[in-house]
Amino acid sequence: MSTIFDGLSLGAIYALIALGYTMVYGIAKMLNFAHGDIIMVGAYAIFTTLAAGGHIGLALVVAVVVCVVFGIVIEKVAYKPLRGSSPLAVLITAIGVSYLLQSVAQIIFGAKAQTVSMVSFGSMKIGSAEISIASVITLVVGAVIMAGLTLFVRNTRTGRAMQAVSEDKGAAQLMGINVNRIIMITFAIGSALAACASIFYLMQIPSTEPTLGSMPGIKAFTAAVIGGIGSIPGAMIGGVLLGVVEKICLSIPVLAPYTTAVEFAILILILLVRPIGLLGKKRREKV
Amino acid sequence: MSKLKKLKLSNYVCYIMVAAVMVVSFIVAQTGNLPRSYSNLLVQIAYSIILAVSLNLVVGFLGELSLGHAGFMCVGAYVGSYLAMQLAEVIDNKLIVLILSMLIGGLLAAFFGFLVGLPALRLKGDYLAIVTLAFGEIVRTVFKNMSVFGKAMGLSTQAIKYDSRQDTSLYLVSFITVLVVLFFVQNLVRSKHGRAITAIRDNEIAAKAMGINVTFYKLFVFVIAAFFAGMAGVIYGHYTTPVLYSFFSYNYSIEILVMVVLGGMASINGSIIAAALITFINFQLQSHLSGDLAALKYLIYALILIVLVIFNNAPKLAPIKDKLSPKLLFAKITGKKRHPGDIRSDAGDWRVIPTKIKMDEVLSVDLQQNTEFTPDKPQKGGK
Amino acid sequence: MKKFSKILALLLCLSLVVAFAACGGNEDPTDADAITDGNVAENVEDNDADAASDFSVVGQYTANNTEYFIGATGPLTGDTSSYGISVQQGAQLAVDEINAAGGLNGVLFKFDMKDDKSTAADASTGYDALYEAGMQISLGSVTSGSCESFASRADEDGVFFITPSASAASVIAASDYAFRVCFGDPDQGVLAAEELTANFENIGAIYDNSDPYSTGIYDAFKAKMAELGVEYNEQSFDAENNRDFSTQVEALKDCDVIFLPIYYTEAGLIAKTCVAKGCDALLFGCDGLDGVADQIDETVTNTIKYITPFDVNSEEQLVADFVAAYTENYGVAPDQFAADGYDAVYAIYNAMLKAGVDNVTVAPEVLGDAVVAAITAEDFVLKGLTGEMTWDATGACTKVPVIVTLGE
Repeated sequence: MSTIFDGLSLGAIYALIALGYTMVYGIAKMLNFAHGDIIMVGAYAIFTTLAAGGHIGLALVVAVVVCVVFGIVIEKVAYKPLRGSSPLAVLITAIGVSYLLQSVAQIIFGAKAQTVSMVSFGSMKIGSAEISIASVITLVVGAVIMAGLTLFVRNTRTGRAMQAVSEDKGAAQLMGINVNRIIMITFAIGSALAACASIFYLMQIPSTEPTLGSMPGIKAFTAAVIGGIGSIPGAMIGGVLLGVVEKICLSIPVLAPYTTAVEFAILILILLVRPIGLLGKKRREKV
Repeated sequence: MSKLKKLKLSNYVCYIMVAAVMVVSFIVAQTGNLPRSYSNLLVQIAYSIILAVSLNLVVGFLGELSLGHAGFMCVGAYVGSYLAMQLAEVIDNKLIVLILSMLIGGLLAAFFGFLVGLPALRLKGDYLAIVTLAFGEIVRTVFKNMSVFGKAMGLSTQAIKYDSRQDTSLYLVSFITVLVVLFFVQNLVRSKHGRAITAIRDNEIAAKAMGINVTFYKLFVFVIAAFFAGMAGVIYGHYTTPVLYSFFSYNYSIEILVMVVLGGMASINGSIIAAALITFINFQLQSHLSGDLAALKYLIYALILIVLVIFNNAPKLAPIKDKLSPKLLFAKITGKKRHPGDIRSDAGDWRVIPTKIKMDEVLSVDLQQNTEFTPDKPQKGGK
Repeated sequence: MKKFSKILALLLCLSLVVAFAACGGNEDPTDADAITDGNVAENVEDNDADAASDFSVVGQYTANNTEYFIGATGPLTGDTSSYGISVQQGAQLAVDEINAAGGLNGVLFKFDMKDDKSTAADASTGYDALYEAGMQISLGSVTSGSCESFASRADEDGVFFITPSASAASVIAASDYAFRVCFGDPDQGVLAAEELTANFENIGAIYDNSDPYSTGIYDAFKAKMAELGVEYNEQSFDAENNRDFSTQVEALKDCDVIFLPIYYTEAGLIAKTCVAKGCDALLFGCDGLDGVADQIDETVTNTIKYITPFDVNSEEQLVADFVAAYTENYGVAPDQFAADGYDAVYAIYNAMLKAGVDNVTVAPEVLGDAVVAAITAEDFVLKGLTGEMTWDATGACTKVPVIVTLGE
């Protein structure tokens, strides 16, 4: 039972990251391999603020601002010039940006992991198992963000413009939508989500290092695909599922060394049964 | 006639390049002046070329994004090297052992290529990309936990490794392998099978309607690409010891993809040049940035990558690039006009070839896009 | 088309023939390699004739050396880079000290570490670059996998190396010129098993299944525990993919002691997870745990013990001086990697001193033989930061481990 709870809290983090991933993917149609590294940037922002004696709330604000600025600058410099070019070219610059952020972080903060002293919320008992309050908060925040994003995309002007851009960039442009602005906003939202993810990440794993983002980044990508790329609730479900699977595998000693293999095998199985992920939208194939 | 001849010469450019490098370095080696670091660099370049060219088959010609190429290499490296060590006890000739293990390692990798090809029949674009990535990670996780292959310590290939001091011939063998791979791939893509593969890339449904066996060709491409990647893995196993699972992570798959993208999709010459260039850049960065400067290595590599890709691909930079293009410059100097009957040099350019890698629909109506008609571009919309 | 194919086929055949000729040629000892290896062959004869080495033999790449060149490779970027950087800084500090004191008979030392990202391929590329830049003696590589690759190259050239931290048994087995400063993995595992079974009832263990160091210790630990017939509870993780240790700690919550044959980064996280999970077991580790003090904060109440040759809080003058100098130079406290790097450089220095090396352009293989002879000599004892060390011909280091306790 406590394994499930641990899985839920880990999954909640994956889900938060996957939400940002899926937003960017759904609208800008690019695999943002640098998304995980934005989380690393957020983690260092929090670390620096806390080390300077800042409050945790302030740290969150700083992280959000820093991540949003990074997200927008990266989009402007590395991705925007390639709009209209092959998605693979953007994939490569995303990887370049990922390397860049990691090495800059290593130069500034050093390679050694830095421990971050976060506030502890303690834990509560449900039945015989214990669950930490931090993970409950993560889950709740994740759900709230998911609902908020869904409402935002469905009901606001900007949100509808996002849907239009996602559906057909050219047509959206003809309809008078400023595609560049919408994509910029998408990146800003994605990066803000990454900042939120970084604070919850640090609550559970209170240590930051330059390569912090690569593993959660790839897990979140997997989660987003399991849920169906571009689907906001799908990202949530995918993340939680992945977290629970990982924890169950780790709790069985024989299976533990194969955890990564099992996670990815489940991904493949799900895709074989549902090639568009659990909640993905089916796209009609044009001839 | 002259036109045809010209076309042919450009087809053989890659053989000439590779053979020239091989012969020159062989001559230098005979005089005893080839530094060992260079003969080792040549081996690295050789297996990078094999990997890039074979991945180009999948990404450039078939149009499916694969992020698990290092996984096939992993299979080849572990299994091939293991077999080579068993064979080395029976057969005395190193070269025969290498060739045999390359074939067997390749075949096993090809089997895995077949397995990965199966979901490719059902999945599209990024979904397939993550499945290939997942495959690569599964493979190395499994190898990591097999005690036959040394678990986390890796498989020590000391027994079969080419002694880089006594016997520098590994680079020759690797380059001959490159030539064989090129020979096969060039002939494949120019045959009717190659045209069938590109037809599937350009429009799968139309290709099916033309009677092309899509299932067969997709699996075929994955199997062939995996076979070559497996061979590259066996070369790797003979080049260094131990064969360690951590090398074959998705990061390495992405590095191979970078070579393919930088070289240009569906351009074999491009893949060769890009593979050699990237390996060389990494080699130089690693050799020169040591100690405190090592952290700059990735910074510089990343900047080179971003600048190169943006320069190569940004639609807005296309006019500037054209001005700088040596071919046009040459034409300007000689005052030669382009003959309308010439096959355009960008006919195989990946920017004008819609691929199945997502967003093609978006691309085709993108107003920014240079939508000039090219003979190779299929018309959209006709149901 | 046909014509071209024919030419091509011809070319292929030709190149094959050339390759075969090359392969065949190299098996013949009188061929090309004899020219490049002239120095070695001559030298071997010299050695047979008289025991003392002839340091006037100049190496192929060392003719222009003005300083003794110590080379090494290690992870300076990527996941494990903090370990490589520690070794680099510790070794650099030692080299600076030696140089400040006038070097070896007035000749200074130079130290350079190439990045290998903990991969075998990059370690051999780094080795080639170093060797051709005039490396004469070496610290090998920082991590076991790359060091095995380094060792296979060093063995070909007869380059002596003494690795600060590559503790796998296969490293020193790979070459006669391979030595180490650290403990061997299996020894630590056996020692831990004996220590734990003697003092505790309910034992748990968490190891990193993706890491040679961790699996090396753990396999020996497991075998010893089976031999002693003691049951224990095992958990594992994969450092590349798991950073959250709640499951493992949850499963071992009721243990008296948790054995952690892992590095300090993950151990710090495990300690914090113990706090979150209300687990008050003692955490017991090996030398990789050294440095964990920086990774935990005051919230951690578990006692942490580890076997280590190096105690950063030691009151010994040598250690205190080193810690002060290191902290001043790099702004952080040294860990055991830094101390091992420091000791390795001094081992090289003292062995060279003992061997009486007097030529700055000495060939690596000549130096290698001389240093091996010096370091394995009965009377060679190095008093370093990590204790008194002696070496035998296998390359293993004998020194007394201490057990450091944090937070009692």
